[in-house]
Amino acid sequence: MTFFSQKLKSQKASTRIDSQSRRQLLKLLSAGCGCCICGSVSARLLKYPLHATEIGSKTWAVHGESSHFNLDNGGNIVNVAFIEVPDGVVVIDTGPSKRYGEALLALIEKTVPGKPILRVYNTHHHPDHCFGNQVFDPAIIAAPQGVIDNINTEGNAFADNMYRLVGDWMRGTAPVAPAVVLDASTEEIGGRQFSLFYLSGHTSADFVVRDDSTGVLFSGDLAFLYRAPTTPHADIATWQGAIDSLGALDHELILPGHGPSDKRDESLAQTSDYLAWLEDTLIGAVDSGLTMNEAMQLPIPDGFASLNVVREEFERSVVHLYPDLEDQLMPIIDVTR
Amino acid sequence: MVHSKQVRFFNTLIRRMAYMTNTAKKLALVGLLLAYATLTSTATHASIPADPFGSVMWKTMVETYFTGGDVVFDERVVVSAPKSAENQMHVPITVDATRLKNVKQIVAVADLNPIQHVLTVRPEQALSFIGFRLKLQQSSPIHVGVQTEDGTWHIGGALVDAAGGGCTAPAHAHSISNWMQTLGETRALVRRDSKGDARMTIRMRHPMDTGLASGIPVFYMNKMVVKDEAGGVVAELDLYEPVSENPTLTLKPSVGSASSVLKVSTRDTEGNEFAFPLSVPAVLAQ
Ligand SMILES: [Zn+2]
Repeated sequence: MTFFSQKLKSQKASTRIDSQSRRQLLKLLSAGCGCCICGSVSARLLKYPLHATEIGSKTWAVHGESSHFNLDNGGNIVNVAFIEVPDGVVVIDTGPSKRYGEALLALIEKTVPGKPILRVYNTHHHPDHCFGNQVFDPAIIAAPQGVIDNINTEGNAFADNMYRLVGDWMRGTAPVAPAVVLDASTEEIGGRQFSLFYLSGHTSADFVVRDDSTGVLFSGDLAFLYRAPTTPHADIATWQGAIDSLGALDHELILPGHGPSDKRDESLAQTSDYLAWLEDTLIGAVDSGLTMNEAMQLPIPDGFASLNVVREEFERSVVHLYPDLEDQLMPIIDVTR
Repeated sequence: MVHSKQVRFFNTLIRRMAYMTNTAKKLALVGLLLAYATLTSTATHASIPADPFGSVMWKTMVETYFTGGDVVFDERVVVSAPKSAENQMHVPITVDATRLKNVKQIVAVADLNPIQHVLTVRPEQALSFIGFRLKLQQSSPIHVGVQTEDGTWHIGGALVDAAGGGCTAPAHAHSISNWMQTLGETRALVRRDSKGDARMTIRMRHPMDTGLASGIPVFYMNKMVVKDEAGGVVAELDLYEPVSENPTLTLKPSVGSASSVLKVSTRDTEGNEFAFPLSVPAVLAQ
């Protein structure tokens, strides 16, 4: 059993093997099981109800649900977007699974029939944003090197985790890293100029795209609206800096990673306020010697209480952020050996 | 009755399973649990109450870890755990049994772990309270038995789903290449909880190797003793393999309102010993 290893490498490898064998077991059990529960689950039609909302000129958002990954939504909790440019279509993020990617392709074809897809951007490596990559030609999928590295390093573990969380929705899904490495500040796609911004904070590589003709800013998960931000790879100080940078950019509209499109920079203010509260609260908790469990039970102020899944995300953030804060706030004691 | 011999057999088998491939292990586990359920369901054990967490290992847990007294589920044993383990290597658990009097020991087990016993705390001059983090092999009930002087085990627990948490895999623990040099490096924080009690959190660098990972022998911190200035035992802890790497433990010593110095000593399975003092500030005059 390698799972119990504290060594990072074997932990990762074994997580993968572990869930692969779980999948095999699941298959085996359901194949040999004639019960009605298994039957009805496998017979259930898994279809993403994707809908294109025009948020700007020739610019469509595909909004996900505001909940967590679950067996009902198939991981569709994310905002994906596509833009009709003079010579084709540009896609920003690809959703949580191969099946989602296929539904997205169909939606694009329905909305802008006959137009070739010229470019697909990935804003960051989180699975809800890039696991539909598989249905696109890798040669047109683009991201900064940092995003690509993160997909290569963590993609498999994400896939296993997603499989556990949303099950059969993920069938056939495998992480695909973009083939195009971006490092320029602008690029022209199909007769349209896009500005490219290389930030971090939500993860170690967060990529923001602006359509320079419409001024729509695709913030990825640097901005959330009416949904609590997630922090598994966050560096909060850096993230706050990135939010400041986004606020200083010329733009007409923000499409946050999660939540409705935003004309008034509400997503930036809300994300920044929440992160500030989160950091202060956890610093206070660690400094008072609270255990993680006690910190998880702290009250959430009225201003944030209406954010979707805020209690769940707060609890998760305690787990993400506590260890580093403890290292910062708990002094080293001289030890006699 | 389930013979303790049979129980031992199953325990051995479960440990052996640690060395099987994962697929074989999962299949074996299913078979094992079915066999075990059959075995235990025929047993009549009046003193073992039904487990509200529905653990298939519950009777084994009682017969292995909660022996020598009646077993009752008791809401005064408050076990806090996240419903879902965001990081299976570091699942935070807090046990608060401060409403129980005359507590002898607190025993925490993770039923479906290959090694179930997580820790035992004997709070001599401390509140019946412990915060810790554990490694979880898979979704599992956590049972905590708090034994009082009359021998009775007061049980609380929680179910932790180890399916992971959403947008991500867990954040990874920091891996350091020179970990032997930092072995035993200790961080600590002491705060005042109320007038007579303190709250101490310590973190000691230790890999807490379970011996179940191939090529990595068992190596974990297995003992911690907290004493007061006069040498009286405040609390004693037996730690086991499932305690997370770099054990982070929170205790509430009952040290009175004056300032004092606690003496903490720890030992690992290789015989390394570490000792350090911890200053407890006086309660500020109101
Ligand atoms: Zn994200």
